[in-house]
Amino acid sequence: MPDFVEPLRRRLVELGCPMAQVRRLSREVADHRDDLKQAAVSEGLSGAEAEARANAHLGDPLVLAEQLMVALRRSSWWGRHSVVAFGLLPLLVYPILWALLLLLQMALGFALDYGWNWKKLHMAVNNPVTFHHLITVFQFMDYAAIALVTLLFCWLARRSAVRLKWMAISCTICSVAAVLTWAKIEPHSFFMGFTFNGQLHMPWSRGAIPILVAGAMYIFQRRTMRRFREKIAA
Amino acid sequence: MVIGIIAAMKKTNPSFLNGVPELLVLRLLARREMYGYQIVEEIQTRTGEALTFGEGCIYPYLHYLEAEKQVSSRRQEVEGRNRNYYKLTARGRKRLEALTTEWNRVTTGVSLLMEEQQHA
Repeated sequence: MPDFVEPLRRRLVELGCPMAQVRRLSREVADHRDDLKQAAVSEGLSGAEAEARANAHLGDPLVLAEQLMVALRRSSWWGRHSVVAFGLLPLLVYPILWALLLLLQMALGFALDYGWNWKKLHMAVNNPVTFHHLITVFQFMDYAAIALVTLLFCWLARRSAVRLKWMAISCTICSVAAVLTWAKIEPHSFFMGFTFNGQLHMPWSRGAIPILVAGAMYIFQRRTMRRFREKIAA
Repeated sequence: MVIGIIAAMKKTNPSFLNGVPELLVLRLLARREMYGYQIVEEIQTRTGEALTFGEGCIYPYLHYLEAEKQVSSRRQEVEGRNRNYYKLTARGRKRLEALTTEWNRVTTGVSLLMEEQQHA
């Protein structure tokens, strides 16, 4: 008798179902199948007949996996409105979240390094060597803020089990927004903005971060699937 | 502002469970703790097979209800079999009351209209 649960589990993973959900859904479907078998046995059917009836009742495991994924996607606002959630929302949310995260990191850095002491900060800013270090740290914070906003959308896409293309779309939008937004520090000044000058000296490196995050997420998903296949084969 | 946006999202995009399936599941769970297979079977038998709930949707529905804190679940072994049992929470009970009121309002309205048409 062909196994029912493993093809279901494999298809759920292939469709991008979060692993916690894969485990839970496959366990509950297996329980359900056992109940169907038990009911058939209590009607007088043999073990093999009961199993065949349970499998026939549940249908093709691959189709069932797709039905489960449709229901799973429809169970969240993000899944029901993928166009708005991953196509439009990143455009609106990215600048706000990026600015907030950058400011938060700067405040945290200030508190940890200078203990809210402005005098110490002024001394660091006035020294060309320490100011160079500050610029490096600031750049790292800027990149971290971009990566965090992108990761948030990737996480939402994975959590709501939407197709991989929506994760790619939200990352692309974050990438465009990262190129158009900018932040700069100068001695005793800090600037943030949103601009498009159409020239080649746009901050392309910032735009590469969301693409790298998307690539990392894709590799992570592929590795999860490969490990899962290996686990089944073993 | 954020709360306003979330409220608008909920208002303009009602839950996919908003309606009969949610009412049925909550109503069954209000009586006793149940597992997926029992819910599917009960809906089928108690509605005279007029309504059926496929295996492809019952579990995501139950997980959704659990995420919304309307039901809670626990894994329990009964007669050597492990199953996920679901039961209604206080929030689920409130939701059931609201859905029942709404259902009664709609069915009364529809009945009135149907009767009117029959007399005409």
